[in-house]
Amino acid sequence: MIKATNVVKIFKSRAGVVRAVDGVSTEVAPGEVVVVIGPSGSGKSTFLRCINGLEAFTDGHIIIDGVDLADKKTNINKIRAEVGMVFQQFNLFPHRTVVENLTLAQCKVRKRSKKVAEEKAYALLKKVGIHDKAGEYPSRLSGGQQQRVAIARALAMDPKVMLFDEPTSALDPEMVGEVLDVMKQLAREGMTMIVVTHEMGFAREVADRVIFMDEGKVVEVGTPEHFFTNPTEERAKLFLKQVL
Amino acid sequence: MIATDKTWPWKLLLVAILLVVAAGTWGAVQKIDYQWRWYRVPQYFLYHAEDPQKIPFDGVVDTVKTSGKTTKVSLISENEEKLTLTIATDTLRVDEGEDLFEGDTVGFIKEWRLGPLMLGLWTTLWLSAVSSVFALFLGLATGLARISKNFTLRGLAMIYVECIRGTPLLVQIFLAYFFLGTVFNLSRNVCGIGALALFAGAYVAEIVRAGIQAIPKGQTEAARSLGMTAFQTMVEVILPQAFKKILPPLSGQFISLIKDSSLVSVIAITDLTKSGREIITSTFATFEVWLVVAAMYLLITSVLSQVVYYMERRFAISD
Repeated sequence: MIKATNVVKIFKSRAGVVRAVDGVSTEVAPGEVVVVIGPSGSGKSTFLRCINGLEAFTDGHIIIDGVDLADKKTNINKIRAEVGMVFQQFNLFPHRTVVENLTLAQCKVRKRSKKVAEEKAYALLKKVGIHDKAGEYPSRLSGGQQQRVAIARALAMDPKVMLFDEPTSALDPEMVGEVLDVMKQLAREGMTMIVVTHEMGFAREVADRVIFMDEGKVVEVGTPEHFFTNPTEERAKLFLKQVL
Repeated sequence: MIATDKTWPWKLLLVAILLVVAAGTWGAVQKIDYQWRWYRVPQYFLYHAEDPQKIPFDGVVDTVKTSGKTTKVSLISENEEKLTLTIATDTLRVDEGEDLFEGDTVGFIKEWRLGPLMLGLWTTLWLSAVSSVFALFLGLATGLARISKNFTLRGLAMIYVECIRGTPLLVQIFLAYFFLGTVFNLSRNVCGIGALALFAGAYVAEIVRAGIQAIPKGQTEAARSLGMTAFQTMVEVILPQAFKKILPPLSGQFISLIKDSSLVSVIAITDLTKSGREIITSTFATFEVWLVVAAMYLLITSVLSQVVYYMERRFAISD
C-alpha cells in the first residue's frame, strides 16, 4: 500500500541545517494500523506530511499504490485525493457549513453531483455522530465535534489511507474519547491508517504496529505488546518511562 | 467599584462642543463681510429649462390647438410645407393667421433638467465605480502575484506597487493625461479612470496580500490534502475567507478613491469638484458651493460605509 524508502527531509534555516526526517524506511500493508510515537521534534509529523506531499522531501522514495511521489510526473493532487489527512488543528473551512465542508472537495475533485455528495456527507456525519449539526458553521461546534467533522470530511473522498497528525492534541481532555472512538471504529472496519499520536492507550489497543521515532530516525518498530512491555532500545525505554 | 452606564453627561458634552464649534464658525463669518446667497444654489441641482421653438421658414400660423398645458401650433410655409410645433400653453406668442418670418419664436418648451451639481455628481459616481472595478481586479491580480512563487511575477508586482505608492496621485494623473494620453492618443476619461484605477489597485494589492496571508496555513493544507488544486484552494477556500477579513480596509480604500477622484478635475473632467468651481465663477457663492460640494461627497461616502457595514454583519454569520 505505502512503501517509504530512505526518506530524508532537510530544513534549511538561519539557525542551520536540520535533518527533520533522516532516512526513514517503512512499509504499510492494506488494512494495517500503524501508530508513530516519539518525543517532540522527532520528525514524526514531518514524515507523515511527506506521505501526502504537504512537505516536499529531500531524498528517498514514497510509493503509494505503485506511484512514486519522488517522480516529477506524478500528479500530487490525484494522490492526495486517495490519502485522507486529519490535522491537529482540525482546519475545517470556517466560511462553510459542516455539510458544505464535506461536499466541497467531493464536488470539485471527485466531480460528484451535489445530491450524491450530500447523501454521502449525511451518511458520514451520522457515522461520526453529528448529523444534527450538519447545517451549523464549524465555529458553533466543540473541538471534539470539529475533529469528528474533519475525519468525516477526509472520509468523504473515499480515501485508501488515512493519516492522522496528532488528532487529539488540541482537544480538551473530556473530548479526546469521542474522537478516539471514531478512529477505533475506522480501524475495526479495516481502514489503512497511519497515526501520529501521544495517546499511548490508543496505540496499545488499536495499533498493529508501533514505530518509535527520535531525531528523524526510526529507533524501534514492533507490535504494541513488544513495544510497551519489552522495548529493546534505551531511547525507547527512557521515553516510555517518562510518558507512562 | 460598581460599574455605571450613565452616558447622558457625555452626550450633553458632545452636543455642547458641536454647538461651540458651530457658533465660533458663525461668529467668525459674521466678522468678515460675506453675503450669503443660499437661494442661488438649488437651481444648480435642478432647474426649469425653457427652450425656444422657432419657425424654420417664412410662413403663416394655420391652427392653434390648446389642450391643457400644451399647445399645438401648425405652421404652413410659402411653398406649402407643413410643420407642427408643441409648446407650453402659457408661453404661446402667436395667433392663428399671423404671418411669421424665419427664426421667429412661436413659444417655449418647459422641462426640468439636472443642474451641473447633479451632472458632476453623476460623473464622480460612475468614474469612481468604473475605477473601483478595475482597481479591484488589478489589485487582486497584483496581490496574488506578490505572494507568487515565481520571481518575475513577484518582482513585477513589487515594482508596480512601489512606483505607484511612492508618487503623488496628482502627478500620476498629469503623467497619464499629458504623457500617456498624448503618446497613445487617449481621451481624458480613459486617462482619469486609468490613473485612478492604477493608483487604487496598488493599495488594493497590498490589502489583498495581507488578507491572504492572514488566513492560517492549515486552511491551504486542508484543502490541498483533499486533492484540490492550488487554484481551487484559492477560489473556494482562501479568497472567500480573505475577502471577509479585508472588507473594512477595502471599503476604506474605495471611499478614498471616491474622494481622490476629485483630482481628475485638473484634466478638465467635469466631476463634482469641477462643477463646483464652474458654478463659483458664475455666482461668486464660494462658501455655499464648496460647503454643498463637501456635503455631497460626505453623503456618497456615508452611504457606501453603511452598505459595507451591512455586508460585514451579513458575513459575520459564520463567526
